[in-house]
This record gives sequence, structure tokens and C-alpha cells, in this order.
Amino acid sequence: MPVRDVVLYPNPVLKRRADEAGAPTEALRALGQDLVDTMRAGPATVGLAAPQIGVSQRALAMDASPHPKTTRTHGLLVLFDPVVLEAHDPDLLREGCLSVPDLTANVRRARRILVRAHDAVGEERVYEMEGFEARILLHELDHLDGLLMLDRAASSSDLFARRVYR
Amino acid sequence: MTHYAVTAIGVDRPGIVAALTEALLEVDGNLEDVASTILRGHFSMMLVVSVPDGSSADELERALGQAAWPLRVAITVRDVEAGEVVRLRATHYLVVYGSDRPGIVARLSRLLSEREANINDLSCRLVGSEESPVYAMIAEVAVPETLDAEALGEEIQAIADELSVDVTLRPIEIESL
Repeated sequence: MPVRDVVLYPNPVLKRRADEAGAPTEALRALGQDLVDTMRAGPATVGLAAPQIGVSQRALAMDASPHPKTTRTHGLLVLFDPVVLEAHDPDLLREGCLSVPDLTANVRRARRILVRAHDAVGEERVYEMEGFEARILLHELDHLDGLLMLDRAASSSDLFARRVYR
Repeated sequence: MTHYAVTAIGVDRPGIVAALTEALLEVDGNLEDVASTILRGHFSMMLVVSVPDGSSADELERALGQAAWPLRVAITVRDVEAGEVVRLRATHYLVVYGSDRPGIVARLSRLLSEREANINDLSCRLVGSEESPVYAMIAEVAVPETLDAEALGEEIQAIADELSVDVTLRPIEIESL
């Protein structure tokens, strides 16, 4: 399965609401696999949404388990059409994003969420997520809604250049 | 393109940014990085701008100065080579606060400089009452990889103890998602 190129802002696919994935198909299964392969190919990449590989569909891959901050995790997940049912306990953290590599921003996100989604084989499931895993899901879900972490920067001083000038 | 660093400072009021950026636009200039805040009621802004080659610093200062004059905003313009500086990524927040007294920033920044830790970003505020002024500072610091941050933290703490201020040095955690 191919590792795809990660799309960078200002590619318009990142600012569009992605289409519902709907019933499982072979194409969706392949998309899920591409997301996993592309995520695995990046150093320290813990999540990837389909728009980040140029596909405007509501699909994402994530895996919080390698991260030292992870407490409880479901491991590798491929999710379609995720919906947040509940969100609690907001927390502020500085985020970076593969699709906006030169900037970071402080973003407030819930620490505990309840998510309904279709899993890799199209089964509808409800996931309880917390901590870093919840943050990844919410960041990737924003990509499906055409939102970048810049849209959530909490104040003007929250924008930081990550570029190293030479 | 030629790059200039511009500073603007004046009593805060609506319209300063609009006046300056419109004047810049009229001389075909482009805003690059901008930092701005209000310091004790004074609007202060620093900009790195690019203008077409052949535009002098004096011309730019005149153009911006004319726009700024009715607003009582003072402008300076100087040459810079944009992007020539190697900037280390900030690795730590240094937060210091306590009863105001001379030398807090000077002592700590001197220590950082001696350890070749770079201050990338700095905000300080004098708050509290006249009888009991409180100084608060937050800096983003690039601690070199070769330096033991914990040892640096202990040195900072020693100065903070002498000055009777509270201090925290903590890593900047960026989650790449």
C-alpha cells in the first residue's frame, strides 16, 4: 500500500468539510490502509486525517500508543465518520501539525470524550477516549471539518513560528 | 526585495495599525513578521517589512511617519537582512514573579546569556498596587542541547532565592499531531 504525500496548507482540501464516508467499500478500506502507512512513515506521527493526503472523506488513522504521555489507549485505530457524543474537561496544549509545519498554536481541547465511529471493518462502535488519545482524535476530526489548529488558537500571542531561520 | 525593521510606539488608540499598514501598502511594501502589544497604555509594534529594491530606509520612514504623525506615533526604520540569523527553537518557558525589585530581569538574563541560552520571546508586566508592586515575567528560552536544563534550573533558582522571587523553568512541550 502506498505512502501518500502529506498535503500542506494552503491546499484547499484542508479547508473544506470532508464528505461522509458512508457504507464500507474496498476503496475506503484501501484509504484506511494508506492513512496507516503514511502515518507510520512519518517520524512520531500519531494521527492523520484523509484530507491531509488530499482525500476529502471523513476518515482518519491514529495511534496514541507510542507516545510517552499516553495513559489509556485503543492502539491503532482507523475510523470513518466519527462523531463526538460527549466532551469534558478542557486542557490547553501547544500543537504542531504536519500540514502547517512552520507554526504551532496553543489549543484548548477536551481531555475526556465519547466518540461514535465506524471502525476499519465498517462496524459502528463507541469509544471512550482520554488524555493524549482524545486530543489526537479531536485534532484529526477538525481536519475533517476543514479546521486547522490555527482556527482554534486561543489568543494572538498563541501563534509561534517553529521555523528555524537561517 | 529589501528588508527593513520598523518600530512604532504611541499612546494606544484605534487606527494605528490601519494607518501604518495602509501607508506601507502605498509604497508597495509587504508585512512579514509582526509583534505588537500594549505596554502601559502605549501601543508598540515591531515589524519586519519588505519593500522593492531601491526604496531607502529614509523614504520608508518618511512615508510611515507621515501616516503616523496625526496619531502621535513615533516611527523608526532600520536595515535588516531578513532571515540571516540562525534562531534556536525555544525549548523552555521561564516564568518569574514576585515583589518588584531592581535587577530581576537583568540578573536572570545575564545568567542565561552566560550559559548561551537564548531568549526568543519575553513579556513582563508590572502589576499589583503601588504599595505592593508585583513583577511578572514569562520568557521562551532556547536552552542549548549541550546544556543540562536541570542544572540551569538550579542556577536560576539560586538567583531567584537571592531576589526572593518565585521561578519556574519548564519544558515547552509541542505535540505534533
